[in-house]
Amino acid sequence: MSFFDNHLLNLVVFLPLVFAALVALLPAGEHGQIRTITFIAMVVDLVFGVWAYMTYVPGGPEFQLEYRARWFDLFGTSYHVGVDGLAVSLLLLTVFLGPLVVLASTTYIKFRIKEFHLALLVLQTTMLGALVSLDVLLFYIFFEAMLIPMYLLVGVWGAEDRQMAAVKFFLYTLAGSLLMLVAIIAVYFISAPVGARSFDYASIYNGLLDANRQLSACTAGPAGACDSLTGLAATLYTWGPWLFAAFAIAFAVKVPMWPLHTWLPDAHVQAPVAGSMILAGVTLKMGTFGFWRYAIPFFPVATQQARPFLATLAVIGIVYGALMCLAQRDIKKLIAYSSVSHLGYCMLGILAITAEGATGSAYQMLNHGVSTGALFLLFGYLYERRHSRLMADYGGIAKVMPVFTAAFVIITFSSIAVPGTNGFIGEFLVLLGTFKSDLGEAAGNPHLTAVFGAFATLGVILGAAYMLWMVQKVFFGGITHRENQHLTDMNLREGLTVLPFIVLVAVMGLQPQPFLDRLEPSTDRFLARARVGTPGAELQEDRLRVEVMALPSRQVVAAPSAPVPLAAAPAVPSPRQ
Amino acid sequence: MNLPNLSLADFLPLLPAIIMVVGASILLLSEVFLSTTASRAYQAVLTVVTAVAAGAMALTTMFEPPQEVMLGFGVLDPFSSFLTFVVCVGLTLATLSSVSFLRKRGAERGEFYALMLFASAGMSLLAMSNELITLFVNIEVLSLSTYALTSYLRRGTRPSEAGFKYFILGAFSSALLLYGAALLYGATGTTHLTAMAGPLSTAISSQPGLVYAGIILVIAGFAFKVAAVPFHMWTPDVYEGAPTPVTALMSAGVKAAAFAAMVRVFFMVGKGVDPQMLLGLFSVLAFLTMVAGNLLAIPQRNVKRMLAYSSIAHAGYLLVGVAALFVTGPGEQFRLLGASALTGGTPLDLARAEALRGILYYLLAYTFSAVGAFAIVSVLERREDEEKGTAWDLERFSGLAQRKPGWAFAMAAFMLSLGGIPPTIGFMSKLLIFQAAVDAGLIGLTIVGVLSSAVGIYYYLRVVVYMFMRPVPEGAQALEKSWSTELALVLSTAAVVILGIIPGPIMGWLEQASSIFGQ
Repeated sequence: MSFFDNHLLNLVVFLPLVFAALVALLPAGEHGQIRTITFIAMVVDLVFGVWAYMTYVPGGPEFQLEYRARWFDLFGTSYHVGVDGLAVSLLLLTVFLGPLVVLASTTYIKFRIKEFHLALLVLQTTMLGALVSLDVLLFYIFFEAMLIPMYLLVGVWGAEDRQMAAVKFFLYTLAGSLLMLVAIIAVYFISAPVGARSFDYASIYNGLLDANRQLSACTAGPAGACDSLTGLAATLYTWGPWLFAAFAIAFAVKVPMWPLHTWLPDAHVQAPVAGSMILAGVTLKMGTFGFWRYAIPFFPVATQQARPFLATLAVIGIVYGALMCLAQRDIKKLIAYSSVSHLGYCMLGILAITAEGATGSAYQMLNHGVSTGALFLLFGYLYERRHSRLMADYGGIAKVMPVFTAAFVIITFSSIAVPGTNGFIGEFLVLLGTFKSDLGEAAGNPHLTAVFGAFATLGVILGAAYMLWMVQKVFFGGITHRENQHLTDMNLREGLTVLPFIVLVAVMGLQPQPFLDRLEPSTDRFLARARVGTPGAELQEDRLRVEVMALPSRQVVAAPSAPVPLAAAPAVPSPRQ
Repeated sequence: MNLPNLSLADFLPLLPAIIMVVGASILLLSEVFLSTTASRAYQAVLTVVTAVAAGAMALTTMFEPPQEVMLGFGVLDPFSSFLTFVVCVGLTLATLSSVSFLRKRGAERGEFYALMLFASAGMSLLAMSNELITLFVNIEVLSLSTYALTSYLRRGTRPSEAGFKYFILGAFSSALLLYGAALLYGATGTTHLTAMAGPLSTAISSQPGLVYAGIILVIAGFAFKVAAVPFHMWTPDVYEGAPTPVTALMSAGVKAAAFAAMVRVFFMVGKGVDPQMLLGLFSVLAFLTMVAGNLLAIPQRNVKRMLAYSSIAHAGYLLVGVAALFVTGPGEQFRLLGASALTGGTPLDLARAEALRGILYYLLAYTFSAVGAFAIVSVLERREDEEKGTAWDLERFSGLAQRKPGWAFAMAAFMLSLGGIPPTIGFMSKLLIFQAAVDAGLIGLTIVGVLSSAVGIYYYLRVVVYMFMRPVPEGAQALEKSWSTELALVLSTAAVVILGIIPGPIMGWLEQASSIFGQ
């Protein structure tokens, strides 16, 4: 571990913020310079992000590129960052979208250019920070701070009802996550005795682990076996479901899961292209990522109890989202509802707790970022030309914009999971995982597994129906409106922003292995940890405990002078040993 | 009668207050030699220098062990030192923002600054008071100064109304407090807080009515001062009518000092009586204050009134911290909520230290955010709109981001900090309070707290919406700049943002400040 590797994640996270300071110093009228500098910042960030992605060793320790420093000792929190396979993949997605978002907005955003780019850069830092945080409080801080720039993006540069949408987005997400804050504080207190308390992920997870195992063992036993529990296990028996609910609601709002999704169509529709792309591409993944990293591993037993319920919500989300899409006349709203449907697959895959399901879900998170991000981008270009979101105002666009249409259709294929595209692999794995899962047993009837799977499959069919129906109405047939006869095709800049998406669709569809390699260790560990809650499951001891670097002692405040060899990193002292 | 024999060294602990009183006297005296039109710019400078000196003096005593001073009538402990520091911060920022405010109204006079200093000296001494009569005298010192300051701009109808209302209700609450103190004296035979715990525990069995009446009257008196629901009625009118910099000082300083005195009194009283009763009383107060404060703030279009209600809401969060002081022990903690203990938890002294820290840090955070917000309000208001009542309307904030990006950014930071959104000091302080509350087992109260703060976000965000998302109104007049207000804004914005990200030396002081006399 060199000095550079030690600080690589800090660099990736805070580079946009440093450039934001630079942009803030520029005069507001210098639009060209502001755009260029923001673009450079995003590209440099992309380079470092790819570097981090390549540096991550799939077979290595769980968290790599770690960095930890003392920070707000009094609160029990430290500045601790590091990535596992899923986090580094989502990080790659985030830095990948960064420069494209800037390029996509060069003509779309016409006023208050400086503030717009400041918001983009700050948003980038907060999103990356949330992905790499290994301290729960640090994660929460980034998770909440993310709302501020996003709120401004929607509220200042959005469409006609932007203020309502922005406030709704902010309040909805905030109300959910404030309850999570209480749960985080509670977990902080129960996971360790005085003196050893810390908001660190490893400390909390390891602190809860033994109690979770006791609890899991007694829930498998006869009725009333859990009444004799003592200590932390008893606490988790009483409070675990509530704490899990607080976490789950916060993340379910973010995902969004039906019926907490109502902020999403408004925010997506009103947001500018950049806002929709980032919202769909990255921020929604914070919800699924939160379930994966925090809610489920912390409370496997409560998860096991809530699984049938949550899976039902996910399936309802899949079908409901798809049906809502069929009823839309507004294209942007259709794409927004398709997100509800797609994220339902991600949740279903996570809740299946099978290798296929989890892998598919993780892959689907990346896919959705690529395909829905691209759909919003492409529609943004169309909207710039025609200033209408209604399908009825289009028709026969393929005749005047052939290149654009080709790109749109390819992305549509990815979105509806045509074999050969990335979407196929993700959705196929999720469905496979669902059919192989024990969701039905958890719900009390083994046959129900097939019902979950069947409805999810129905969602795939409906998905193809609404997307193709929309594509047909917008792009094919005769030109029904005179205004559409003189639309210009994509220019070079627009083509250059779309090209990376198409390349990714193909690469991720035909060569998924390099991506899956990095997801696999995370998937294995997630499964091992989630199965703690499954009664009678065989546990893989070596994958359960979280091992991270220790907190540097008080003398070394700024940086650990001697890099701690990761493989031999001592576990955080556990109170229960 | 034998007079106590005090040496000069005995006065040293009071130095911050003495500095402020001397500064105030110099200002008053110098005013005698000035013509009405003479330049008075030095007065604000002198006030700020005095405040900074007093604050620095308070910090030097931060690491001294708790001790009795002035024959036990007062105490000097890190808790009071930190509070004096908070008061000095509030005074400095309020003074800086009052320069242009007074100049625009042609009301720049030495009395104003002198009264601010007297009030702050009273606050500092109040935080140190360890005896009920001393406490009452200090409350009156600070109250009389603020009554006068409230109606300082005596020509309008609003200041007179506000001053009169404040005076009548303030006097009433002081009377309640004094009556309660008298009853406690009757029950225990002493006015010294330190000596009170022992006699209280015997008096509570022999004369329970007397003790309970005394405690409830004292709580009611303090509840008036900190604007806790249902004793909050005066707050919106007084806050609206008072000159904005005075409102800032009131919301930050008076509240901080009253909270400090309340904590000290009930920390001691709690040793003699059943803490469960105090826990119950303060929990109910906190619940009502948080919920009502936030709900009443929602319909306000007048930003100054909105901030008044928000200050009520913040008193509610602080009361959660006060309630958390009265945990009786692990296991007992959850009885109030009818739930079992989360865990065999923290030792009592540690849990109390957490609560004290939470209260102090919250007061500091609130001082920075609220005084900053009032400074923005004061630069946007125009004299001619005051009688119409539109001087503080939300419309005044329309398009501020385009007219003054710096101010809009500052105000957004203050609003987010008041709302408790990271990464601001407001979030960190709320976290500390709620951490203490969860550790004390007040889960229900904490949940009410976070949910009502979510309600709070709604009206704080509305200001941000107006600033960033509304166009500049037609015919908006150019906004005046003044270096002193800008300085106050830069300082408070920097504090609000930076202290939310970097712990800094304040954490060291805070760790220390949880040691209170008699712990």
